[in-house]
Amino acid sequence: MPPMFPASYLRSIATVALLVLTLLFAFSSVRLDAWGALLPLFEWMETTWFGVAGKTWGAVFAIVEAMHLLAMALLGGAVLISDGRLLGLLLRDVPVQLILSKTHRLFVIGLFIAIASGIFMACGVAMKIYYLPVYWFKMLALTAGVLFVFYIKRPLLAGGIDSLNPWVVRAVALASLTVWFTVAATGRWIGFSG
Amino acid sequence: MFNQLIYDFALWLDAGHWSTLLHESFYMYNWIETTHVLSLMLSLGLLFFIDLRMLGIALPQVPATTIARRLQTPMLIGFGLMVTTGLLLFYAIPVRSAQSVWFRIKLLLLLVAAVNALVFHYRMKQSVTSWDTAPLAPRNIRVGALLSLLFWVFIVICGRLIAYDWYDCERGQSGFIGVFAGCIEGQTQF
Repeated sequence: MPPMFPASYLRSIATVALLVLTLLFAFSSVRLDAWGALLPLFEWMETTWFGVAGKTWGAVFAIVEAMHLLAMALLGGAVLISDGRLLGLLLRDVPVQLILSKTHRLFVIGLFIAIASGIFMACGVAMKIYYLPVYWFKMLALTAGVLFVFYIKRPLLAGGIDSLNPWVVRAVALASLTVWFTVAATGRWIGFSG
Repeated sequence: MFNQLIYDFALWLDAGHWSTLLHESFYMYNWIETTHVLSLMLSLGLLFFIDLRMLGIALPQVPATTIARRLQTPMLIGFGLMVTTGLLLFYAIPVRSAQSVWFRIKLLLLLVAAVNALVFHYRMKQSVTSWDTAPLAPRNIRVGALLSLLFWVFIVICGRLIAYDWYDCERGQSGFIGVFAGCIEGQTQF
């Protein structure tokens, strides 16, 4: 009788399936209806206090943007240390579980600040980003990154890496690095577009 | 005199063929700037963890020297990338950059942060055997770590503000701002 597939693998497969469906939706013509339905939301965002403050005071927008970059640095540091450890590149003499558990808290703090500052900035330039494809790519990558961390990486690694195929561990680390790099790069590209 | 020297140097750089090519290239300039910002995640991200370890916030169970030594090399690679791309960004728009108030403050802060890092490194080397496995570093080390974090927060803020032209010489600055920015009376190139 074949061995039972671990629950974490099943959850990972389900999350990957959800991401694939999201990608199919994003590249289909159905997305245009959803995109059109979001226009009132983006118009409203520009009228909020965040939107008005961001448009009126450039210094406020710039400082919030700097906070966004600093949060990205914190999040990036947490990702680099945890994934570097999984790849056997960083802190090899420190237990994996210790690195993963201690970096996750700071990852969440960085993610929270990045999302909060991102919402402020989005309100300030809502109508610009609504029409920018690169903004939607970033949102897709961010969604994929968050789902990946909470529904694939953490559950899969929760029981330690000894029971996992080493190639699975490396694939998880590389996928994590790729998705967060994509989030950061597409975010920077928003500034060059429009 | 000092401002005139800097302005003349910036003009000389600006006259260079590669400076113009870089400045006018959509993809090259943007890729250099993207690399400059993304290398923040490598350099500053790892530096954050080193400083936060000293403050007892990140990885307190791991010996301080382990964190500092293991993360130092990739962190320095990140800084190397940032310095290289930063120099290229300056070279692409030398006159405006050299006369940017925010750029000058950023350079000063970078210098102060470097001195702080050297002092921090020296103090750590002198005393680490007595507190390496302690979750919290001694007070003077913690102060150094906190100062490092503060300096880098303001460096990033100044870096972001460079893009804004409120204090550009082209807008006719006078008084302290004009002197600090290095505006030259009668200058025709900005």
